[in-house]
Amino acid sequence: MIRKTGSTWFIAALTVLVTAAVACGGTTSPGTTSKGTITVAGFNFPESSILAELYGQALAHDGYTVNYKLLLGTREVVAPAIKSGQIDLYPGYAATELEYYNSGAGEATGDVTATTAKLNGHLQSLGLEALTPSAAVDQNAFAVTKATATKYSLTKLSDLTPIGNQLVLGAGPECPTRPFCQPGLKTTYGITFKDFKALDTDGPLTRAAFKNGSIQVGLVFSSDADLNQLGLVVLQDDKHLENADNVVPIIRQTVATSEVSTVLNKIDAGLTTADLVTMNGQVELLHQDADAVAAAYLQQHKFFS
Amino acid sequence: MSLLRQVWSWFFNSAHWHGSNGIPVRLAEHVQISAESVVIGAAIALPVGILLGHYGRFGNLAINISNTGRAIPSFGLLVVAFQIFGLGDGPIILALTALAIPPMVTNSYVALREVDPDVKDAARGMGYRDLAQLLRVELPLAVPLIMAGIRTSAVQVVATATLAAIIAGGGLGRYIVDGYATQKYDVMVVGAVLVAALALATEVSLWGLQQVLVPRGIRLLKAPASRKGTTFKTA
Repeated sequence: MIRKTGSTWFIAALTVLVTAAVACGGTTSPGTTSKGTITVAGFNFPESSILAELYGQALAHDGYTVNYKLLLGTREVVAPAIKSGQIDLYPGYAATELEYYNSGAGEATGDVTATTAKLNGHLQSLGLEALTPSAAVDQNAFAVTKATATKYSLTKLSDLTPIGNQLVLGAGPECPTRPFCQPGLKTTYGITFKDFKALDTDGPLTRAAFKNGSIQVGLVFSSDADLNQLGLVVLQDDKHLENADNVVPIIRQTVATSEVSTVLNKIDAGLTTADLVTMNGQVELLHQDADAVAAAYLQQHKFFS
Repeated sequence: MSLLRQVWSWFFNSAHWHGSNGIPVRLAEHVQISAESVVIGAAIALPVGILLGHYGRFGNLAINISNTGRAIPSFGLLVVAFQIFGLGDGPIILALTALAIPPMVTNSYVALREVDPDVKDAARGMGYRDLAQLLRVELPLAVPLIMAGIRTSAVQVVATATLAAIIAGGGLGRYIVDGYATQKYDVMVVGAVLVAALALATEVSLWGLQQVLVPRGIRLLKAPASRKGTTFKTA
């Protein structure tokens, strides 16, 4: 069974590679004059590489020459690089970017529009701009197993309010003191859990605890690669407890022409958190290359047509 | 000084004395995993050490093998065991058992070897068979050293059982790990104080048990000369 799925994935991966090769061939076909050069960077984790590839390949398809600086580093490396013009564009996360550029002033909220507006307020003087944020988010999230979700018919966090006292919450040991965690669930949603189990923040202990049933609700990140594989369902944060870490392109104003913005906004408009989980899974669990995964996504969603 | 005051007041907050994170529950968890590990370790180590000591064979081999157990870091073993067994008490008990075995093997082997050969000859001469000689002559004489091994193991295990909290287990280590994660240093100190107190209590209570188990004859041998005379008269 494992062997069979393995070979299926191998064929899928081959298909992806082939289509990627075809797609790349299309964009760099001789005779196309470049509309300019754009340098796209990404943070040092796979999801950021995938997003940077999505932006970069879409721009390349539109006729720009794209340089990639993937896995460039943390925000402490990437942000100075874009300020100094060494890079032109990187996929950011609205709330985290805001708290970086405002030096941790605590302005970020669960409202993505307001958060992005405040972010732009800080970016303007730096010659930078945040475009329209995507619906796709990579933020703290609370997950339950499929079985638990079915048993109590759970889809969003407010569904936990009446039944929380039957469930055990698992997260890092700091959760009972952090506003985004147990106290926030109590004040924002009125959820009181039966007990709290100190594990880790989105690590192997949390996964093991889901597996042996010692917790029913656990803290994860919304775009974790293995959520589908583990059969975990993220409960929707319907009252916006968590800061809005929606994917948003951070771009230099001089590069952000209306044409570039249109291309990037079209990507972000189509992207969902589920897409992120799928693509992260392809890269982190199936060890496919980020550029191939991004190309397959763009192909599938007709960005190249 | 303010940290000590915080620790002091933490102990007197009644909220910290019940619930799943209260002192009684955490203490009970700690005692349970420690006791289970020492008992399992003793069940493995003592027969091996005693038999090898009794027959005087393969002693170096056994001691060397069990001493490699001391070289294995408990934390490393714990993490590997967690990968295999997953969440629960299994990994911590495995790691602590491995820690508990070496002192008990070494001490019980040495204890049996150190029994005076003249005494063994005398036992043989009086018609004791092998098993009776082991159970009724050698073992009682070996009790002080064997108990010293058990005490060493138990104190080490109690102190190391704090590691359980790292793989989401219970016990007093919970206070240390959680206190660190939330930068509540008073809670960390509470955990450290409780573990130290439990280790001391373990040492004292096992010492008490040893006093009960050691045969009267050996106690008399070690008694001061002044008392020796009088007790021998009544004996």
